[in-house]
Amino acid sequence: MMEAQPGRLICMKFLFMGCLIFFLGGRSFSASGEVNVYVKTKDSNTSTFSYSAKYLFGSYSGRYDSMLDSDFQDFKFKLLTSSCKVLQNDVELQPRLAILQRSLIGEGSHRRLVSSIRYSGQASSIPELPAYLCRLIVVERLPFGVFADPFELQNLVHHKVFTEAAVFGDTNLELPSFLSNRTVVEIHMDLGCNSSGHVEGLEINIVLPLHARYPPLEDGGYSTVKLNEPDIFMNYKTEQKPHNWVCLLTPTIESDKGKTDVLVWNVPCGIKAHTGLVTMVTFVSALLSTLFIVLTSFYGSNAEVTKDLKES
Amino acid sequence: MLISGSKSAMAAIDFRSLMIFSAILRVLLIFYGEWQDTHMEVRYTDVDYLVFSDAASLMASGKSPYQRSTYRYSPLLAFLLVPNSIIHRSWGKFLFSATDLLIGLFIRTILKLRGVPESLCNYPVLVWLLNPFTFTIGTRGNCEPIVCAMVLWIIICLMTGNMIQAALWYGLVVHFRIYPVIYAIPIILVLDPTVFKHSQKPALQKWTSSMTKSFESSASLCSLFHALTNLFTKERILFGLISGAVFFFCTGLCFWLYRWEFLHEALLYHLTRTDPRHNFSLYFYHIYLHYEHEFSVVEKLISFVPQLVVQLVLIIRFAQDLPFCFLVQTVAFVAFNKVMTAQYFVWFFCLLPIILPWTNMRLRWEGISCVLFWIGAQSHWLMWGYMLEFKGRNVFLQLWLAGILFLAANTFALVMIIYRHRYSPMFEHLRSSNSKNARKLQ
Repeated sequence: MMEAQPGRLICMKFLFMGCLIFFLGGRSFSASGEVNVYVKTKDSNTSTFSYSAKYLFGSYSGRYDSMLDSDFQDFKFKLLTSSCKVLQNDVELQPRLAILQRSLIGEGSHRRLVSSIRYSGQASSIPELPAYLCRLIVVERLPFGVFADPFELQNLVHHKVFTEAAVFGDTNLELPSFLSNRTVVEIHMDLGCNSSGHVEGLEINIVLPLHARYPPLEDGGYSTVKLNEPDIFMNYKTEQKPHNWVCLLTPTIESDKGKTDVLVWNVPCGIKAHTGLVTMVTFVSALLSTLFIVLTSFYGSNAEVTKDLKES
Repeated sequence: MLISGSKSAMAAIDFRSLMIFSAILRVLLIFYGEWQDTHMEVRYTDVDYLVFSDAASLMASGKSPYQRSTYRYSPLLAFLLVPNSIIHRSWGKFLFSATDLLIGLFIRTILKLRGVPESLCNYPVLVWLLNPFTFTIGTRGNCEPIVCAMVLWIIICLMTGNMIQAALWYGLVVHFRIYPVIYAIPIILVLDPTVFKHSQKPALQKWTSSMTKSFESSASLCSLFHALTNLFTKERILFGLISGAVFFFCTGLCFWLYRWEFLHEALLYHLTRTDPRHNFSLYFYHIYLHYEHEFSVVEKLISFVPQLVVQLVLIIRFAQDLPFCFLVQTVAFVAFNKVMTAQYFVWFFCLLPIILPWTNMRLRWEGISCVLFWIGAQSHWLMWGYMLEFKGRNVFLQLWLAGILFLAANTFALVMIIYRHRYSPMFEHLRSSNSKNARKLQ
């Protein structure tokens, strides 16, 4: 986040107050307002919300330049081995999680990725894990050609659909896919396991709005985008340290049908064979239109005057 | 006298009622917008308004408004909306809607200055104030009414001989939104030494109901030749210097505050913008098909030629009828632009009412056919746009053809407007008034 420059701030405030006095004629007013702000970090082209969450992927983007799968797996391994060492080898104690269903809702360029996840874990039964709050973290590494709008996610956080959400990577929403990079979305959702100390058979639906970028040209007219399964983590918080998330785990993933299907999104794309025709007709139309306007400008109005004169 | 006085009073009351009704309508729409935003999935508020508001709140906290991605306007806009985060988030909507009403007032002022009778003044104002497109633009939070108001105010300043103020506002409006730069040449041409004399208000040519004005091709070419040979007059140099100074001062100040972010986002982006995503422009599919490789200089020139030729021809022919010249220039500029979105239409909607009393177009057939063709072509484009964007069907070719049809509709409307317009220079030229006096004496 960039530091506010005091000189600039004073200058802006001074100018603003001057104008306000001018417009309001010196009347006093009281005001209040809520400010939700996005921050675009200048150096890394990374966008995060100004919420005080500690994102897993935030530390990834600081250490790795690329978004290669191998880099991410390496990062994930290091992250997990540095946390909850006591539970790493005890599979029985780890929480269980099943991705029941993944689907894309919608037909066009704006769709919703729905992930239905079932969680079962007994955190309170593990003496080594004095948890009272569990947080589900979903990391969606989106493929080329699909992005999530950070401003839309902010709105969802504001409406408490997600506890926290952030978008990393290429957040330029306007670029076509062949000029853009991959995007990673990290969603945090608090699960209500603080009352009983455990969660049994909880089903969570995560609806993530996604948008297609303009794909590269292809002869078939459609570009295929494949969405793989997300990485899922569980995070636990101790009562004694309210601001510390102490233990990060990857739940044992189990699926009713084994692995869920890869989702396919067919995005309409420009057809290269159209190039010659489109270029020619575009310029002919533009020239014809120009000709009509030029001719009317020079001769059209004269014709009108002649007619009027004849009538008079 | 009494009858004309009471007629004038009636018209004035009508205008006042119209303004009050329009104001109430806008306030209600702003409140409705707030309700829709809270209760419905689809927002009433324009997505750009959220961008302006975010940028304004960043500015209020001393940060750069360009930290909000997709904010591509002058920092002045964010500055105007700072009260959004202090007073209320709808401040900007009230500001834009108030400007919208101000445009109604300016339209009436221009018409009255040009001698349009009171009874005829209200209809053009009505065309602006009760146009569903315009009243939703302001209440949804689009900033274009501010630009339109500034353009109309510049015309008023020129009409009243207040050249310095016109120059100040012109420099500001070009900084605020670059497109009014297309009005530079007609303004320079209209600042004729035979019109603008020292410490004298220019004589305005008054509207008459049966104006069969002589309009010869050679007349405007002669006046252009005359203007070119007398280009460097005091008024023209002064206008250029003042407006240039204001433009560079504002741009320099913003550059000093926000550096390259400002220059790239608010200026260079608009000058070099070629959007491959679907929009009303006939060029969009051509740009998309060529986006993977750089356009050659020849390709760039070819696409620029129609825009340049049309602008030059319209200026040569209609510069002296300044409001009409502004209108046709704007319609043509939008029609041939490489990017065209619905918000650009408001640029010429605000100019349309100020030429209506000079049109011979018959409402029943010609006027309605123009409007229907234009709306029909736009709706046809929107249908294919919906198929592509919300149904995921590959209809690029149909959408591009719909764009060409929309160009045809724009061209048809423009040609009809020019064809049925009674050309009327804004000012009485000194020579013509002298010759008139000479004739009277004879």
